[in-house]
Formats: sequence, structure tokens, C-alpha cells
Amino acid sequence: MIAQDIAKTIVSPKAYANGKQVDDAFAYLRREAPLEQAQPEGYDPFWVVTRHADILAVERQNDLFHNGDRSATLTTKEADRRVREMTGGSPHLVRSLVQMDNPDHFNYRRLTQGEFLPQNLKRLEARIREIAKGFVDRMADHGGRCDFARDVAFLYPLHVIMEVIGVPEADEPRMLKLTQELFGSADPELNRSGEEIKDTSASVDTIQSVVMDFMTYFNAVTDDRRKAPRNDIASVIANGKINGEPLGYLEAMSYYIIAATAGHDTTSSTTAGALWALAENPDQLARVKGDPSLMMSFIEESIRWVTPVKHFMRTATADTELAGKPIAKGDWLMLSYPSGNRDEAVFKDPFKFDVGRMPNKHVAFGYGAHVCLGQHLARMEMRILWEELFPRLQSVELDGTPKNMEAAFVCGPKSVPVRFKMN
Amino acid sequence: MRPEIGPRPLQDELTPVSAEPYRFWQCRTCGYLYSEEAGDPMEGLAPGTRWRDIPDDWICPMCGTPKAEFDMVEV
Ligand code: HEM
Repeated sequence: MIAQDIAKTIVSPKAYANGKQVDDAFAYLRREAPLEQAQPEGYDPFWVVTRHADILAVERQNDLFHNGDRSATLTTKEADRRVREMTGGSPHLVRSLVQMDNPDHFNYRRLTQGEFLPQNLKRLEARIREIAKGFVDRMADHGGRCDFARDVAFLYPLHVIMEVIGVPEADEPRMLKLTQELFGSADPELNRSGEEIKDTSASVDTIQSVVMDFMTYFNAVTDDRRKAPRNDIASVIANGKINGEPLGYLEAMSYYIIAATAGHDTTSSTTAGALWALAENPDQLARVKGDPSLMMSFIEESIRWVTPVKHFMRTATADTELAGKPIAKGDWLMLSYPSGNRDEAVFKDPFKFDVGRMPNKHVAFGYGAHVCLGQHLARMEMRILWEELFPRLQSVELDGTPKNMEAAFVCGPKSVPVRFKMN
Repeated sequence: MRPEIGPRPLQDELTPVSAEPYRFWQCRTCGYLYSEEAGDPMEGLAPGTRWRDIPDDWICPMCGTPKAEFDMVEV
């Protein structure tokens, strides 16, 4: 069993905001106990999968390690009890791709998969470039100082994904607020109560109220797209058929919610974290600005560097063995993406930000059947933004101390104050 | 090798492998695109490696999906 202080750290929103605390804890685990059980106070025990190779092994075997049998994200016993009470026994408040296993997972994923393939995203390139240009102009208008997270990074991917889904611009602030309330539910600066979370069962009620707000919103969108379909993801979800039947209500609502939340917060965090890293490493900024052929490796390194999704959980469907350890049917496993992405066995100098890193087979998008659906969109959006920004950016440096969001599931920088020169 | 003299062989035997058009294969799960022309040297597949010459137990380098779950696509 993993020692209590380490177990507490790897589930602590504050430790993720600190960054170094979780990095140190996982480095220790990779060295001393790469696959071991943890039971922080208030949680059921779970295996902590820290090594890159073991994360791939679990994710590849998606029939042996399910997403939906228990909560797909870390949850306290108290919160799990409350969720089951509210849902009549299910461990999930929503049922998106993330909570599904086959055959549903395959069928539901196939519905939108094509929209997110690189060749089909090409038609969005010109429009996304227009949006990116607008944000770069706005940054220039700030006159040499801005909070890059709040003023650019949060807003640009939000605008892109909302256009892809089909949410009007006027509703974007509402979508951003709801997303931050959901992923930032443990962060007093972002959550709905504005307070530290002490009672995790009460926080489930708060999250549920955020989910209800999303559902009310997207239910109206469904009605609209059934009457008048358009060329957007909302129309695909509203009019989609699985085995000849329309999507279930919970499944349809959950589909909108995952696209509307996972579709920007992660990309925003990566964008903000990348500029933070460049501001701290002017040599790396000079390299990538001077050599456009490094663009894609720079983007890959940004994604590895930030790793905005901190974990997903899996549940063993049978007794098995992993890395020499016996895993019992029903055991819960935490896939630690930040740990996999700092694994010394795979990455040379893993704590160094290297815009030319190659190869860079990070696990920030996951792996296997659930691998991120939006990965090509995320890369494309970031590439376009940097292509527009770099030629105009002469210098950038930190203008205060950046701050990370407090969350153990999805998080990244919430504030990156910078001073910069642009032409 | 094309015989210089003798009976004319069937067209298939005649066409060198490299004259066949190169194709693209795409992973159904993650969208990874394999180009026969470019190969994937990082994965040990030299430029010009045909899809059929890649072993059956090969998996997608991006997401681990089996080779059988790739589709031939036009790009
Ligand atoms: C840098 C940006 C992003 C990162 C780091 C990221 C990361 C992830 C990760 C780690 C997973 C879970 C994979 C697994 O279980 O193996 C995931 C799933 C998912 N992501 Fe992303 N994501 C990003 C951007 C996006 C975007 C732009 C969308 C747009 C729609 C999106 C939609 C989804 C969906 C729908 C799933 C669920 C897939 C499934 O379970 O089959 N993501 N993402």
C-alpha cells in the first residue's frame, strides 16, 4: 500500500495546482512502487498506474479494463454514495463516451468520429484562422501586457468548439462559466459556491446542478436541430441514430456536455501552459520562431508538458495480472497521464521543455479505444494560433506569477500574466 | 524482372510493385494515417512499405488499434 502522505498528494487539487508536489510524488512512485494500491482517507482503494508502458497496456485492453463499471474519474466514497442515490444506482451523473464500454462505446463514437478526422477538419482551417487572427489582434490591442490565460487561451478554443458544435457566440460566456464550474468544482475561485470544498457529497449536488443547467440548454438545442438541421455537431447528435433509434436523452445530453467541456478547457490549458513555458525559456521560443519545421514537435511537447487531463479510472472486469501484480475483478485503477508523460524510461530529460523533442509518444490524449476524439482538432487549433502569433511576437516574459487551477481531474493554468512586444 | 525475349507475360507479373499506386490507410479509432509512399520511419517502416507487407500483429502507433481495424482512404 502506498504511504498516506503520497496517497493524499496524488488526489489533492492543491497539489496539482502546485505542480511540483505531484511531480515529486509520481517520480518517487515510478522509482519505488510503479504499480501499487493507494487508499487516501475517504476513498476506496485503487491501483496507481504510473508507468507509460502500463498505462498503454491497460488502455489497449478495453474489454478487460472497463470505463463504465465504476466511476470513470476519482471520487470519494461519500460522493459515490451520493451519485448512486441520485441516479438510482449508477456511479455516473452523465453517460458520455467516457462512461461507456462496447458495444455502446463503438456505436456512439462512430456517430461523430468522421467529423473529427484530419481530412474532414481541413474545411474548418480558413474559418479557424480568421478566429485566431482576431485573438492575436486583440492581444496586440492589450498594449504589451495581458493575462494570456484569461484574455486569449480560455477564449479562443472555446470559440472554435462552440462554432463546431453550433452554439451561438452570445452563449459562450455561459458555456465557459459552466465548464469552469464543472472542472474547477474544487477550486474556490472557479466553483459555484465560491468556497473550499469540505463536504464531498454536497459538492456532488453542486456538480449535478451544473449538469442540469447544461442539459436545460442543450435540450433546447436538440429541439431546434430536429426542426431545422444545420451543418454542425449539434445536428449530428440531435438527429443521430444508434441501431436505428435516436440517442437516449441522457446519452445525447452527455454527448453535448463532453464536446462542450472537453473540447476547449484542455486545449486552453495547453495553450496557456505553452506560452508560460516559452516565456520561461526564451531559447526555446527563439528556436521554434526561427524554424517553422519545429511547429508540430513544439505542439506535441506543449501537450506533453501540460498534460491537462490528470487521470481517468478503469475497472478490471476479470482477475488478471499487470506488471507482475495480481489485479482482482472489480479493482479500480487510476491511469496517471502526468506520470506516464514524465516516465524516465520513455522520455529523455522528462522535466525539460524541449520544442524539438522527437520521438514524443506522450499519453496526454490517452490511448486505445477511448483515445481523445478531438486530438486532431486540438492540434490544428493550436498550430493555427501559433502560426498567426509567432511572426508578430518579438518577445514575451512573465509579468507576475502564473497560477494553476486546483483540480485533480482536468486542469491547467488559470492565470498567466505576461509582458510582451508585438508588431 | 521483365524478360527480354520469349512469350509476353501476364500484365500483373510484368508491372513492378513500385508502379502500383501508393495508398493511404487510416486507423478507425484515432485517425492515424499511414501513407505507403512515406512509410513511417519512426516506427521502422521504410518509405514505400506496402500495407500488405506490414505484419498482421502490427498495431496503430498512436492508439494501439489492431491493423485489421484500418480503412483504405482517399486523401
Ligand atoms: C490538448 C487538448 C486535449 C487533451 C489533452 C485531451 C485529452 C483527452 C484524454 C486523456 C481523453 C481520454 C482518453 C482515454 O481514455 O484514453 C480524452 C477523451 C476525449 N476527448 Fe479529448 N483532449 C483534448 C481536446 C479535445 C477536444 C478539442 C475535443 C473536441 C471535441 C475532445 C473530445 C474528447 C472526447 C469526446 C473524448 C472521449 C473519447 C472516448 O471516450 O471515446 N478532446 N481527451
